[in-house]
Amino acid sequence: MNIEVQTVVEVAAYVGGGLAMGFGAIGAAIGEGYTAARANEAISRNPKISGDIFKTMLVGQAVAESASIFALVVAILLLFMKVPFPTLLKAAAILGAGISMGFGAIGSGIGSGYPAAEACCGIARQPATASRLTTNMLIGSAVCQTPAIFSMVVALMLMFINFGGASLQPTWAAYLGAGLSMGLAAIGSGFGGGLAAGASCEGISRNPGTAASVTTIMLVGQAVAQTASIFGLLVSFILMFKSFPESTALSAAMALLSAGICMGFGGIGPGIGNGMAAGGAVQWVARNVEHAGDLMRIMLVGQAVSQSTAIYAMVVSLVLIFVV
Amino acid sequence: MEPIRQTQKKYASRAMTAAIIIGLVFILAGQKPLGKGFILGTVFSVINFILMGETLPMKMSKSRGKTFFFTLFSMVFRYALMAVPLIVAIKFEQFNVVAAIFGIFMIQILILGDHVLKIIWPKRQQRI
Repeated sequence: MNIEVQTVVEVAAYVGGGLAMGFGAIGAAIGEGYTAARANEAISRNPKISGDIFKTMLVGQAVAESASIFALVVAILLLFMKVPFPTLLKAAAILGAGISMGFGAIGSGIGSGYPAAEACCGIARQPATASRLTTNMLIGSAVCQTPAIFSMVVALMLMFINFGGASLQPTWAAYLGAGLSMGLAAIGSGFGGGLAAGASCEGISRNPGTAASVTTIMLVGQAVAQTASIFGLLVSFILMFKSFPESTALSAAMALLSAGICMGFGGIGPGIGNGMAAGGAVQWVARNVEHAGDLMRIMLVGQAVSQSTAIYAMVVSLVLIFVV
Repeated sequence: MEPIRQTQKKYASRAMTAAIIIGLVFILAGQKPLGKGFILGTVFSVINFILMGETLPMKMSKSRGKTFFFTLFSMVFRYALMAVPLIVAIKFEQFNVVAAIFGIFMIQILILGDHVLKIIWPKRQQRI
């Protein structure tokens, strides 16, 4: 069977577009659904302020939807993109772009649902803190979107950068690996960031006087939780921009693909774990602000230990890229 | 549902004003596709936000089965709607794709910007 290169590139673009939007829709839908579920709880607790709760839910859902709109943008660009010089390498890059965006939007979509949900419940508990809670919710949700933005950047680079004279073997696997590394690693960081942001909204509603400390520790915790996705981004960049010597051996291609898989899956757990550590710290700072310093230290130590598995994954990925 | 209407009115009117001003600046600077793409994206971002808010109370007043299908239809419809400016910008050279992409995030940018400004200048906001 003789298939034209142009057809292969088109197929890759359609499959990539499908993967980008299909997977990209999962996270935002779950996040928005969770927000709505907690908004119901909030309204049943305090029906008098249902209007304010609806308003917070609407604004929270609008921001939570951003991750799936990133996916929509990449999917539409993939479906309608024109490739002037179609090559098999371009087909691999396009497929990698779809994978990066599709997986990358899952964590951020789910994660941004948490602060919105907790803000709705918090407003029902403490209506006077509505403005402060909404601000904190929006800051937390915006930081949750960072891994999805990283994924979109990698997807756009894979789609539009001309990688020129790179050899098909084994570079095709490097591009797919780049998509997998970024997309999968973004899941944990997006979700983990949401756990921290959700806990901070709950904390502020319980003890509004601690808002400044809670928001600061939330931001520090979220920043550390993003590390796993930054490792994923780093491995993606190396896979995209390092030139690999031509090799017909399948093992060379598989080493590069495995490097992406290793960093991608290896980044999920640490991202979520770091988010849990940050969420715990933020939750208890709100109850015991006098010991904020101790709680933050414990959070950072816990996050550093939890981060070690992502570092192991990155080391193995780098060995697969540079040594094997 | 007055608070929802007020929120919609606030962000929708700000988004349209910003889009018209930025679009006009681009058009006057001779970058017509950028201006038109930005305005196109923003218009659909505003429509999406209005539909989101308008369908919220409708979802609440139906049975569980109907709510599920209504929500599903509303989401599919809104996403299909958001794809329109992108497809138009890709198909027609009069609209810049990148500007249309920025336009469809206009509501989100304004919501975040509004609250970031409140943090930076809290006293000024209170006086207003």
